[in-house]
Amino acid sequence: MRVPYRRLLIYAIAFAVAIVMNFLLPRLMPGSPVEAMIAQFGKRATPAMIEAIKIRFGQGDATLLEQFWDYLKGLATLDLGISTKYYPQTVLEVLGRSIGWTLLLVTTSIVFSFALGSLLGTVAAWRRGSRFDGVMSPLAVVLLALPPVVIAVCALFLFAVSLRWLPLGYAWDPALDPELSFAFLGSVAWHAILPVATLSLFLVGNFQATMRNSMISVIGEDYVTMARAKGLGESAVMFSYAARNAVLPNLTNLALALGSVFGGSVVTEIVFNYPGLGLTLFQAAISRDYPVIQGQLLIMTLATLLANLAVDIVYLWLDPRLRDQPA
Amino acid sequence: MQFWKTTILAALTLAAPATAVAETVLTLHLEEQSAWVRNFNPFNLGSRRASTIDLIYEPLVIFNPMEGGKPYYRLATGLSFSDDLKAVTYTLRDGVKWSDGQPFTAEDVKYSIDLARGNPVIDAYGMADAVESVEVVDPHKVTIRLKTVDSTFPETFSDVPIIPKHVWSAIPDPVATANENPVGTGPMTEIRRFTTQVYEQCRNPNYWDAASLKVDCLKFPQIAGNDQTLAIAQSGELDWFGSFLPDIEKTYVASDPANHHYWQPPAETVSLMFNLKTANEGNREAFNDLAFRKAVSLAMDRDSMVNVAGYGYPTANTHASGLPPRFEVWRSKTDSTQWDAFIGYDIEKAKALLDQAGYKPGADGMRTTPSGKPISFKILVPNGWTDWIDDSQIAIEGLRALGIDAGVETPELEQRTTAMIGGSFDAGLGSTLDGATPFKFYNDTYNSKSGGRVEGGSARYANPDLDAALAAFRSTTDSARQHELMGKVQDIVSADLPVIPLFNNPTWYQYSTKRFTGWATPDNPFAVPENHDGVHTRILHLLALRPVQ
Repeated sequence: MRVPYRRLLIYAIAFAVAIVMNFLLPRLMPGSPVEAMIAQFGKRATPAMIEAIKIRFGQGDATLLEQFWDYLKGLATLDLGISTKYYPQTVLEVLGRSIGWTLLLVTTSIVFSFALGSLLGTVAAWRRGSRFDGVMSPLAVVLLALPPVVIAVCALFLFAVSLRWLPLGYAWDPALDPELSFAFLGSVAWHAILPVATLSLFLVGNFQATMRNSMISVIGEDYVTMARAKGLGESAVMFSYAARNAVLPNLTNLALALGSVFGGSVVTEIVFNYPGLGLTLFQAAISRDYPVIQGQLLIMTLATLLANLAVDIVYLWLDPRLRDQPA
Repeated sequence: MQFWKTTILAALTLAAPATAVAETVLTLHLEEQSAWVRNFNPFNLGSRRASTIDLIYEPLVIFNPMEGGKPYYRLATGLSFSDDLKAVTYTLRDGVKWSDGQPFTAEDVKYSIDLARGNPVIDAYGMADAVESVEVVDPHKVTIRLKTVDSTFPETFSDVPIIPKHVWSAIPDPVATANENPVGTGPMTEIRRFTTQVYEQCRNPNYWDAASLKVDCLKFPQIAGNDQTLAIAQSGELDWFGSFLPDIEKTYVASDPANHHYWQPPAETVSLMFNLKTANEGNREAFNDLAFRKAVSLAMDRDSMVNVAGYGYPTANTHASGLPPRFEVWRSKTDSTQWDAFIGYDIEKAKALLDQAGYKPGADGMRTTPSGKPISFKILVPNGWTDWIDDSQIAIEGLRALGIDAGVETPELEQRTTAMIGGSFDAGLGSTLDGATPFKFYNDTYNSKSGGRVEGGSARYANPDLDAALAAFRSTTDSARQHELMGKVQDIVSADLPVIPLFNNPTWYQYSTKRFTGWATPDNPFAVPENHDGVHTRILHLLALRPVQ
């Protein structure tokens, strides 16, 4: 299999652009960490307090270019700086404690919704025109259109507040201490149900629709007719012949959906008080915590690019027709 | 046999309480965070936990605004000014120990002040500007020499964290540490459990006032926003919190009417502030005209602001002096009817005032100044503060009815605060936190030196008589004279109406009687009931709580 050099080069360029954007974006926002801290104190800020904050966190002296150079040097040594909101914690510490939870949320949601969506799309396409298809496909489009924030708030209100079936928030039961025990892991799983379900719901609609469409075009292909003629069972033809080929466009869809998953996770985490990167980014943006915002944007960009690269490679592996072509 | 029986019985009686008494845990919500970070450094203004001051680091004296500024002696037993009022001596309490067992002495007080004086980064209360020197007279007496006469110094000083010398002298940079295992003199110093989702702060084993403290542990669940607060509060988990809950009767009280209570007495005054030194000429001419300000004040529908925008929680302020209701004992003895007449809602009277003062409509139908310049301004309120945004809309409706071109602008909190402190605005809603006496409110809002330094002074009002009265207040400790001066301050402010008082913000205070009694109520208003950082009377409140038997 050829190493996709050209593809890697494109990703490298994308990453470089991302680094510059991640540096510029927080600084383009009006305000500064100093102003944010002073505003946080609001009426309680005395003149002496304002002076103290300005002396400690005022970074007005360095020019933009000097700041950028410091930023690049920091990146090279994996030193993302010190947070202003959580001073004196470093950015790595701040992000480190949340990244695991977001990964859990996002990965579980993607895997679950992809599997479920693809399955539902396959069955809907196979039984095109049936009652299942008649209900499932419009439902998928409705789910696709619902914004995650609406689903999240409704789910919280219905299941957690009114019916009290599921927990109100948190990643695990606060009464337990984090450790590798059955009770703790069970609590984590229990608390992840609502956030994952909320995040998956709109993705399922997306994957179902795409899968159904590509399945329908694949079903008309010759090799499917041949498989049937060979006398293979319905499910064997449906999964091994049709779905296997139809899933490829869905993979591209997955790559495109990754960005919206990260965005959706921010909203889900805020609503469910889930301690992931989304909540951290939200609070950091409000307090103009430049180092944390930069670090987080960088990680999210890197994650999305890497995931896209991974999908590209998987695509190459899955579809032999692409292997010998120029990358 | 009898001997053994008695011994066994005695042993059992002595042993039983140790195992039988359950722990009393108070669950509070003080601050919104996305995850708890273990930082109890009193000098990390932005990142320390809100349970650091007062609960870990107890002040020498607390002043209770609910009782006219009455002092409650904590680590100190007495304070006295020298005859020339340039030195204040604190007598410290005997037998106070730090939570690690070391004795608390005057050396710790001296160290706390000197550390702040030498390091502007941690000097949040102006010790370097105010203090000349600190002298340890004996282990239980410390004299602080001031640079200028200031009778309000003890109140400012009660905000300065008193830290243990034997711990902090070993720390090279006082700001760069998270102080994860704090040593303090306060009631709750032991951090028993700390995770990102909850932390528990427990009883100081060496607390000097342990006899009054009936709560063993404080529990702080992590809450990131108001929605979670509401959800958790409804479930009955919270004992003491203070958040803005919309329609509180339905959302909070209804979920447990027997135990869920709230009391939101009026707190600091919120005013409409015009930038008296704005660059816009037409605006500046209008803002500096008393007739204009009086007319504007008559266009403010304060009742709608309180009942519609504020859900009925705030209290309309009906006095030109803007004196917060909790300082009623300080109210001026002068009859203020003539000035208070302009604090109300009367569009016709306002129009007549403007007509009389020469504000004729210009080409676009909107009023211009007597010299013909256009008047047009935007009222600045922070983005997301929906109640203040609604208040501004109500204000603008009134102003437009008068023919004044006004609008609202909602920048983010930082920009709005920077613009108001910096002076690059025309009009805005602003407030000042109250101190133990009305001095802080009047000083921050009306002293010519406050403009450009604090949010409360955004109007940039300058009146030498007022400055002199405030300075005189500071130069005396005689209570009668202070009341007289505060009356004079109110009279000047009422007559001049530099800012337009609208209403008083509510104190945010909700509590549950399910597990604890002894709460501050309208019948028993012994403390400012808020539990937030900056409200020192929360110690008094905590010590008054008893578990329900």
